[in-house]
Amino acid sequence: MLHRPKSLAEAIEILAGDADAKPLAGGASLVAMLNARLVEPTALVSLICIEELGGTERCADGTLRIGAMTRHREVAEMPALTDTHVLLRQAAAAIANPTIRAMGTIGGSIALNDPGADYAPALVALSAKVGIAAASHTRTLAAADYFVDWYTTALEPGELVTAIHLPPVAPGVGIYHKLARVAGDFAIVSVAMTIRFDGQVRAAIGGCGPRPLSLEEANTELTRGNVEAAGVLLAAAADPVDDSRASANYRRRVIPRMLARAFAQASAKQLAA
Amino acid sequence: MNPTISLTLTVNGERQALQVEPFETLLTTLRERLRLTAAKRGCNQGVCGACSVLVGGEPARACLSLTANCVDSAITTVEGLSTPLALSPLQAAMVSSGAIQCGFCTPGMLVTLTALLQRCPRPSRDDIRVAVSSNLCRCTGYQKIVDAVIATIERSSV
Amino acid sequence: MSIIHTSVGHSVERLDAAEKASGEAHYVDDLYRPGMLHGIVLGSIHAHARIRGYKLDAARAIPGVAAILTGEDFSCARTGAFCKDEVPLARGKTIYMGEPVAAVAACDIDTARRAANAIEIDYEPLPAVLTIDQALAAGAPLVHEDLSNYVKIAPSFSEGNVLWQCRLEEGKIDSAWSQCDVIVEDEFETAAQHHMYMEPCGALAEIDRGGRVTIWSSCQSVHLVQQRTAEWLSVPMSRIRALAPKIGGGFGAKGGLHVQHLAAALALKTGRPVKMVLSRVEDFEIVRSRHPARIFMKTGAKKDGTLLAREARILLDGGAYADESPTVLSFAVLMARGPYRIAHLRSRGLVVYTNKLKASAFRGFGNPQVTFAGESQIDRIAEVLGIHPVELRLRNAVDAGDRWAGGQTLHACGLRECLTKLHNVVEAAPPLPATAQHRRGIGYSAFAHISGLLSTACNIYLRSDGSLAVNTGVVDIGQGSDTILTQICADALMLTPERVSFAEPDSDSSPWNWKTAASRVTYMAGRVVLAASIEVRDKILHQAAEIMECSAEDVEVRPGGLVGLKGIAGKTVTFGQVASHALARFGGPIMGSSSLLFDGERLDPKRSLLEGFAFGNLGAYIFGAQAVEVDVDDVTGAVRVLRVWSAHDVGRAINPKMVEGQIQGGFVQGLGYALTEEMQWDESGRLTNPTLMDYKVPTALDAPLEINPLIIEHPEPSGPFGAKGVGEPGLIGAAASIANAVAKATGKRMHRLPMTPERVLDALIGEA
Repeated sequence: MLHRPKSLAEAIEILAGDADAKPLAGGASLVAMLNARLVEPTALVSLICIEELGGTERCADGTLRIGAMTRHREVAEMPALTDTHVLLRQAAAAIANPTIRAMGTIGGSIALNDPGADYAPALVALSAKVGIAAASHTRTLAAADYFVDWYTTALEPGELVTAIHLPPVAPGVGIYHKLARVAGDFAIVSVAMTIRFDGQVRAAIGGCGPRPLSLEEANTELTRGNVEAAGVLLAAAADPVDDSRASANYRRRVIPRMLARAFAQASAKQLAA
Repeated sequence: MNPTISLTLTVNGERQALQVEPFETLLTTLRERLRLTAAKRGCNQGVCGACSVLVGGEPARACLSLTANCVDSAITTVEGLSTPLALSPLQAAMVSSGAIQCGFCTPGMLVTLTALLQRCPRPSRDDIRVAVSSNLCRCTGYQKIVDAVIATIERSSV
Repeated sequence: MSIIHTSVGHSVERLDAAEKASGEAHYVDDLYRPGMLHGIVLGSIHAHARIRGYKLDAARAIPGVAAILTGEDFSCARTGAFCKDEVPLARGKTIYMGEPVAAVAACDIDTARRAANAIEIDYEPLPAVLTIDQALAAGAPLVHEDLSNYVKIAPSFSEGNVLWQCRLEEGKIDSAWSQCDVIVEDEFETAAQHHMYMEPCGALAEIDRGGRVTIWSSCQSVHLVQQRTAEWLSVPMSRIRALAPKIGGGFGAKGGLHVQHLAAALALKTGRPVKMVLSRVEDFEIVRSRHPARIFMKTGAKKDGTLLAREARILLDGGAYADESPTVLSFAVLMARGPYRIAHLRSRGLVVYTNKLKASAFRGFGNPQVTFAGESQIDRIAEVLGIHPVELRLRNAVDAGDRWAGGQTLHACGLRECLTKLHNVVEAAPPLPATAQHRRGIGYSAFAHISGLLSTACNIYLRSDGSLAVNTGVVDIGQGSDTILTQICADALMLTPERVSFAEPDSDSSPWNWKTAASRVTYMAGRVVLAASIEVRDKILHQAAEIMECSAEDVEVRPGGLVGLKGIAGKTVTFGQVASHALARFGGPIMGSSSLLFDGERLDPKRSLLEGFAFGNLGAYIFGAQAVEVDVDDVTGAVRVLRVWSAHDVGRAINPKMVEGQIQGGFVQGLGYALTEEMQWDESGRLTNPTLMDYKVPTALDAPLEINPLIIEHPEPSGPFGAKGVGEPGLIGAAASIANAVAKATGKRMHRLPMTPERVLDALIGEA
């Protein structure tokens, strides 16, 4: 049965009552899996009518809350995403194609955690937090802790992603580079990087393991300008697999190369600004 | 036969009372219950775009849309883009530009490009290529499809 | 008497474009028949296994299941075009994973699927061979143990897992090497590509009370569907009627049966219509692919650039069934010389069976593989000798009057003009701004192909209002043949195309046409349409002369369906009047009829050593040259094609926009072949990427910014209005042009397709 609750509380109640019920956001991934009979839920809980899951607002403390049901296209065009947060716009714009971007949502995408997807490394690089609600509680979780393993997040049964919270924006540059076989494909390797005007660099690598790859040591090296050293650290820590898109070897090889290019371009932008 | 639910869907301006399965996709409903077969099943995974329709004026993959979730939105299919006697300017341009070969991708392309022109009446060639990348075509190599959109824009400004 | 061309040479709108644009065009999955059941195929779960038994009771018991078929339900002998090795459903043994082992018809697709999943099959797994090397290894498991007893239509030296061998030699190759100043040797490898037409394969079969089956299917020939379905159902062909709705692309895969016989057999068993349309996954798994190939090539030249010798050894992986492997192999062997005057040639090849999906006809038909190899070597030689790649090709290019390997005369050849015009256009093109960490290069290729093969026929009759009805049996699979053939007929009679109707192909009433393939329809069907049109025209003139009481030599056809007296304006009769006159005088409509078996020269065993060829003659030769500008990303190895120029000698462009469409579409399909497309199997023989998520074809953003077609016309004497085909050539040179461009950009030679970023990076900086 397809439920269409009008409030978050109603949605959570239905999910709490049926362990085999699944929340349905844009449908870009879930309905594809349904069609392929990879999942056979007893019930679906459509989130499309829940106003609390939409919208974007700047909170009093400067954080930006992006509702889970915000479509990729909106994220890609969001004027509130400036400076380092431009990274998130670029990541959203790299997803699939315009039609999928009109359908898919940020909440739905991160709830699935496809390792080749684009938001995950961007959110880690941005030190974003994931807002989560359940029947008995709400919580926020750092993105780095939220993405756990292949198609696995830290969501407990009955929990729902409600929003992405971005910390107050730091002046600087954000950049997202993606290597894929064809336009719109999942990433073979992606690099999400921010360079703040105060010099701090954060980077996260996507497509190269079960979760986005980000190392404090690598960020420290990048901040010092030691791109090569950072690349070595990240390549060594990466845990990629062979799949139809590329081999694990190739991914490890390309990480430092793409990292260096992203760093060079981001630095150049930062200097120019 | 699986259990069905009753609902009403607005398709091409007409209200349709239907019995659908709870998790039935819009593609199945359009093709099999309404016999609106312009939207095609090319992959059933949302990749090829041959199933594209407009839901609430926005391009969507009918194969990834659950019918029961579309009750609040007006749905437009390719059949709703033309009248029985006349093609839309974009359809006519596709014909005259040589942008149609086997035609299987054409309905989906038309939906995507109609949505593009509604959002952005004078897209650049690059904008058009980005929009066309929503839909796969194996026959034309895409060149004449882009040409057709440009021709549509040029004719509309005459 | 000269013919004034009106629509020939003009980009007349496709006959079916408007209905395709409005969404009213119907493909097989858009068709519904009352009482229709849905059919599904069950695929085998082993790459190689004996089938010991079936348990169908649980499946049969599911409510809504109407019929289940297995290999045991078919009694026909093995069939096949060249080697009769195929069965309608796996029987006794399954020889590739996914092979149809059962078919189910039920009230809806979900029920059919549940029933298929409830079928139990007792498999005894056997060791499998999955690569050319495994197939050729001593003591390898045999895919077809009974190969020596299979009927083959030509001697082929089959043994073990070798299905077919083929050889062509000319000149004295062994002594030629010592005369060469430069010799290059390479080994190339290409992958299995999937046709990935937008419309998955499907069929809808309906029987009548008399037991006749009507089959609508996505196909490239109604006649072959009728013939082969009848064979497999063991019924006379008169019991099968094959029709073609609109076809959503084929590219070679739909030239043979896919599920038509299963839909028909289920319809016969249930008495109800059965529709069976494959899912995209099933379509990847059970139809056909392009042959993966390993090619050893060696080319020798003198320092002035004269090409002296070429040796090619071609190994094709044919998958589980022969299908068209013998002809693909033969054609690859024949085309391995390339469009050059190379006096000394040794071209040999073999195709092996493996426990994978059968490889068969696919746009290019063996030529893309050998062209990738040969054109790469031409560029290598140009590099070594310091000669411009276009200049080297021009120095050796074949010309009109030359002979192809095997002896067929090139009656018309625009290759030199293709190369020259191409080069001029490329040199004149403004350069694109460079990008840091990206390298640019322009690469060329030249290629020949054929347009023709086998037979076709046409009937035309003059209606009582002077309009024409053309019936050819040609299936338009998207390339626009309906329109082309209409233009040809219209022009022959000086009518506008609206005055000519083109019959839908129907095996009941359409004269035989082999199939839409081999770039043959404009040329072959065009020839018979023109001949039949001329017959009608001559009869019209004869009848008109009767009406006007003069002799036939005194009258001529005039535009708009008129016949007038030569030299005298005004005094005319209409085609309609002539038609009525014929009906009244002779009791029958004026009709024209023509049939043709390709009548060009046969391969000449006195000229060349020929062994194992699956054909004796082919068609008119067609030529082209292509230039591609690539961008190679230094950081990742990713290759992008920026611009393409592609010059094709088509004899005569009947409809220029359609010719351009074939060139552009062919190139982009070739771009996928060159850069991104590779069907992959794991060690168990499972196809691991049978979905569009995993098998990636080019999108509009992967296609070049421009594909500039250049139409060259050197009229083919035997062609209708001088025309010959162009369906395949756009694809044939693509991988070679791109590889040569990558070499120009990076100095590195790619030997393997697809040229993924990983393979290019390995070439750029060495393997990890």
